[in-house]
Amino acid sequence: MFMHLEVFYYVFILLAHMRSCYCWSVNNFLMTGPKAYLIYSSSVAAGAQSGIEECKYQFAWDRWNCPERALQLSTHSSLRSANRETAFVHAISSAGVMYTLTRNCSLGDFDNCGCDDSRNGQRGGHGWLWGGCSDNVGFGEAISKQFVDALETGQDARAAMNLHNNEAGRKAVKGTMQRTCKCHGVSGSCTTQTCWLQLPEFREVGNYLKEKYHRALKVDLLRGAGNSAASRGAIAETFSSISRKELVHLEDSPDYCLENRTLGLPGTEGRECLKKGKNLNKWEKRSCKRLCGECGLAVEERKAEMVSSCNCKFHWCCAVKCEQCRKTVTKYFCVKKGGQRGRNESAGSRRKNLRLRKKH
Amino acid sequence: MRRRCAPHVLPAPASGCSGIKLSATRSCDSWFFFFFPPPFEVESQEQSGGGGGGPTARVVSAGGCSLFSSTLSRSFVARRDFSLQPFPFAMAGAIIENMSTKKLVIVGVILLLFQAFAFMVGGLIAPSPTTAVHYLATKCVDTVKQRQETKWFMPWGPNQCDKIRTFDEAMAKKIEANNIVFAVHIPLPNKEMSSWFQFMLVILQFDIAFRMHNQIKDGALVTIDVSLAYRDDTISKWTEMAHSFEQRKLSCNFTTTKTSENEGRHYECDLLPFMEVGSVAHKYYLLNIRLPINERKNINVGIGEIKDIRLVSIHQNGGFTKVWFAMKTFLTPSILIIMIWYWRRITLMSRPPVLLEKVILALGISMTFINIPVEWFSIGFNWTWMLLFGDIRQGIFYSMLLSFWIIFCGEHLMGTRLFAAWSLERGQVKMCESGLPTITELVTELGSHLTNNLQDQTERNRLSVYWKQVGPIVFGSFCLFIFDMCERGVQLKNPFYSIWASEVGTELAMAFIIVAGICACLYFLFLCFMVFQVFRNISGKRTSLPAMSKARRLHYEGLIFRFKFLMLVTLTCAAMTVIFFIISQVNGGHWHWGEHTVQVNSAFFTGIYGMWNLYVFAIMFLYAPSHKRYGDEQSSGQCITGDAGANSGEDNQLTTTITHVDGPTEIYKMIGKEAQE
Repeated sequence: MFMHLEVFYYVFILLAHMRSCYCWSVNNFLMTGPKAYLIYSSSVAAGAQSGIEECKYQFAWDRWNCPERALQLSTHSSLRSANRETAFVHAISSAGVMYTLTRNCSLGDFDNCGCDDSRNGQRGGHGWLWGGCSDNVGFGEAISKQFVDALETGQDARAAMNLHNNEAGRKAVKGTMQRTCKCHGVSGSCTTQTCWLQLPEFREVGNYLKEKYHRALKVDLLRGAGNSAASRGAIAETFSSISRKELVHLEDSPDYCLENRTLGLPGTEGRECLKKGKNLNKWEKRSCKRLCGECGLAVEERKAEMVSSCNCKFHWCCAVKCEQCRKTVTKYFCVKKGGQRGRNESAGSRRKNLRLRKKH
Repeated sequence: MRRRCAPHVLPAPASGCSGIKLSATRSCDSWFFFFFPPPFEVESQEQSGGGGGGPTARVVSAGGCSLFSSTLSRSFVARRDFSLQPFPFAMAGAIIENMSTKKLVIVGVILLLFQAFAFMVGGLIAPSPTTAVHYLATKCVDTVKQRQETKWFMPWGPNQCDKIRTFDEAMAKKIEANNIVFAVHIPLPNKEMSSWFQFMLVILQFDIAFRMHNQIKDGALVTIDVSLAYRDDTISKWTEMAHSFEQRKLSCNFTTTKTSENEGRHYECDLLPFMEVGSVAHKYYLLNIRLPINERKNINVGIGEIKDIRLVSIHQNGGFTKVWFAMKTFLTPSILIIMIWYWRRITLMSRPPVLLEKVILALGISMTFINIPVEWFSIGFNWTWMLLFGDIRQGIFYSMLLSFWIIFCGEHLMGTRLFAAWSLERGQVKMCESGLPTITELVTELGSHLTNNLQDQTERNRLSVYWKQVGPIVFGSFCLFIFDMCERGVQLKNPFYSIWASEVGTELAMAFIIVAGICACLYFLFLCFMVFQVFRNISGKRTSLPAMSKARRLHYEGLIFRFKFLMLVTLTCAAMTVIFFIISQVNGGHWHWGEHTVQVNSAFFTGIYGMWNLYVFAIMFLYAPSHKRYGDEQSSGQCITGDAGANSGEDNQLTTTITHVDGPTEIYKMIGKEAQE
């Protein structure tokens, strides 16, 4: 529920912001006023949410697990961080918005998907008849850009970083799209062939961005930052030299092992982790070590009896007839170790962890 | 203007060898004969020797002929068959031979300009040929208990259906799968379809989520209850166009490991052909799809958890259609005019047209058939068979083109055979001996149909000679025609039909395609073999060229040139087609070139279409009989009487002319080289 509120808060800020901003008139090929934004707002909200859900999935077994607070992308918070995780959140949110808008376009939710014809200066009709409309993705990208990027009003390095990461998120959607072709020539031969780009599952975008997250570039721009024109020029120059597909961050990440109220970090205590299982990948198998061991916490094994459905008969939709089965599952949680010893260890492991991070 | 004197056969008294004898008048070797293009001499031949009974061959024994006449009797007989008419196979004196280099170059440049223009029209004016539009089916709920047949579900706009976003919602509301209708409106809001789109085909894709306990069973079939409706304005009622129960085989695979962690991820499913309509006569189309479940009959059970239905509709772009029509409208009269011109020239000759000439005409007719822009009617009328008709027209043209290549090769193969006869006739024993193996080979190679020809002289020059080569073409295209009828023919009745949907259909379709493929391979083997034979003959005979009289040599050089020229042009065209095809396939569809966007696919279509039109045009123009034959009858008479004195006078004069215009000979050499490479 909390997350829903966050999403609406986010959209509210967006809308409030749109009203006050006059810079739109330059690029308003699709909309004529705030009312037009309302058409997209539900899609934008859904998109942002799907982005955060994906973020949670991707970081389920990481120390930082994409808490709700991460969603606060607003410009108002002066405590905004500019670390690797922020970069990912920005990217996945803008990707989510773009993805949802594109998808909803295909549902027929919007009137002018893809048919902007800004090149010919014509709208709808003739362009569609002559050469068809451009891809829905282009539409999704444009609207996502206008919505999400509008949150950044500043011109400092942080704003530049966020804009860059938003762009990286949108590029990730484009980059993971699959090209599909259909042959329909004489007797179905390939003399005539039509190809199109198809949206992947959003999970693909998440996986792609997670990889980018691991390879995120650090840019050192915070020191000696001023708002002078010279430094602004330097920022622009720095960011333009980085590929728009890469995630960028300015700060190092804080220690996510410990609870930090000022930064709003919950710490890893009490988190669940995975230890044994036949089909876990490397990252998941090491999750207990990462979340508990390296943070100076002990792993506690808890056995729980779970009731789950089994022997189900499914239809392709809606009807599921199941029996109730009970089974005992073993879960692992991070718990505090008793005494001073644990803390020392934790400090040691943190240092080790820092070294590891530098290797990236 | 360069003229060529071709060798010709004259009646001569029999001597030495009994039976068939080959002869040519010496007088024809003289420069004088440069004035007389071969076809005329054919005519004179017919008049003087053949009488009413058509041309007959006169074979005079050469010096050493009697030495091996017995062994050669069979080959002589075969040869006789070739030499019945002086130039039975090759159309002697085509424009291409009589044209000066300069003019040939001018014609080539003009054709190249048109070619470039055709590419530019496609690349710069036309949009991309087709557009793919994505649709995501809206999940409507059929709330009415008793299903009304006439009820249509609109995904958006006024009167839209009760929608659900996800199936979790349906689960919560206890909606059953049988009450869910997937609705797709084509096109998307604020747009309308147009008859300029020519055709529309729709592809179906399921988004199926992986569940540990609800996986797709092997060979799962999905049964689709689909209906299609149309209307022409936004307020009127929907009219049903088609309704069908279709089965499609799901071929999905799950790329990641099948673990509970990966639940919810989607399968990767192959595209399913869904619908194809041959004309887009209406403005709005509505598809309502149901996936009914019947556990008793095992319908739609074990197909996994369907999350979404995605459709991709493909139609031709209106702009491309317009450019295409314009091109067709422009090309039709140009091919038609050259065709009429060509046939008029053929009929003006007193001899009946030879096979090759007929085949060229047939090629022109099939090109015109493809060109005639009957598609204009599809704008006004709802002719759904236009797609099928287009396929048939293309098929006819392709098979005609393939047949033309075979026959062209074949006729030149025989044409060069004549050559052996000519070297014999000159009384050179050495030549005769060197020609011997070739002749024997010739007979064995050509096999039985040649001996058959012997029995009936009129059979020569007929299509039936080529049954072995043309057979595969006809059979292959017939197979493809049947396949096309099974697919697109049935689609006239039921737009949702797909031959690939059923097991039997798939096997049948594969059988047709494989047979057609085998035919194509067979054809190309024959063609390659024939081309190889022609080249071998050419290179074999080239050695004997210097020993010949200049006039005859030039004639044979003309034959070789004609063949090599067509080989070169054909190979260039074929290579261009293949190269541009690959480029258009590999490339994303368009290039950015400065401010212009070049539509590579459109350029491919217009360019290649223009190219084959120009190819046919050039063949009809260049291979038409030269007009120089007309009105030269008197001088030909001189040829026959063989006024040696008059000849010698003009000899010098002509020699100088020849040295001036030696260009074409050089071209022959050049082209010969290239063709050999």
